[in-house]
Amino acid sequence: MTEASSVDATLRALLADILGLGEERAAALTEDSGLFGALPEFDSMAVATVLTEMEDRLGIIIDDDEIDSEIFETYGNLLAFSLRKVTD
Amino acid sequence: MTEHRLRIDPADRPRATILIVPPLFDEANRLRRTLLLAMRALASEGFAAVLPDLPGQNESLVALETVALDDWQDALAEIAADLPGPVVIASIRGGALIDHGAKAAAWWRLAAVSGSSLMRTMMRARVAADREAGLTSSLESLQAAAQVAPLLLAGNALSPAMVAALGEAEAQPVQPLRSIALGTDGLAGTPLWLRAEPGEDAAMARAIAADIVAWSMACGIN
Repeated sequence: MTEASSVDATLRALLADILGLGEERAAALTEDSGLFGALPEFDSMAVATVLTEMEDRLGIIIDDDEIDSEIFETYGNLLAFSLRKVTD
Repeated sequence: MTEHRLRIDPADRPRATILIVPPLFDEANRLRRTLLLAMRALASEGFAAVLPDLPGQNESLVALETVALDDWQDALAEIAADLPGPVVIASIRGGALIDHGAKAAAWWRLAAVSGSSLMRTMMRARVAADREAGLTSSLESLQAAAQVAPLLLAGNALSPAMVAALGEAEAQPVQPLRSIALGTDGLAGTPLWLRAEPGEDAAMARAIAADIVAWSMACGIN
């Protein structure tokens, strides 16, 4: 598995765990799939949980200042942010 | 004040009592249904199972902002001392941070988490909620505010003592201990405590009960 596909798989599994999406809905997420504001389960507590789980499962540290609402707009944005953090 | 204890007994004299230490704060609500299913499964194996309310949590009448982390540890020690032995302590997530003051024949921990990780998530939720409300806060500003007054985090008013102690809390060594995670090398199941909407998982509940039973027997409880 390449690093990019492993980050993608980790991120989908994490969203499935937190948002209760189930494997099918998690696998069906595309770059354009909306997250915060689009999925009713994605509230501010879920955002916080996603950030902490990303740190734990991807082995990264996320600073407050790096987070803006755009990151959570779409799955593609969240994936791009994660890949950038992992390769930093 | 005596807190409510939810107790499920087997048909016959219990082989042992399993004292369940629930996850902390909202995680306890998300896992409660599955924990109850696990307690029923334990009872069917001949074990009594007790799920106590921690002061300031669940149905407790104590105001959470008056509670410190040590109070939870002390409350559990009192409950354990009160139960007919042998007692096996089964802690989940943040429950593992407060289970070492009690006396027990064995300990079992599932997905133990550090206090700093729990605090970080709750502080981030507050920052995100503040942002939606047009307010500006940061982990640093919240940490500073928490030194002098109770801090409201995800619906929980935490005292300065609680914030300080929780931020540094780690699961402490106990003996004999089985510490298990979720996943292929651990217990089959999903981290329901992370779930935005509460769910339940009967298969996971059975797996929790089976693992606790096996560990109790390995520790000499028949």
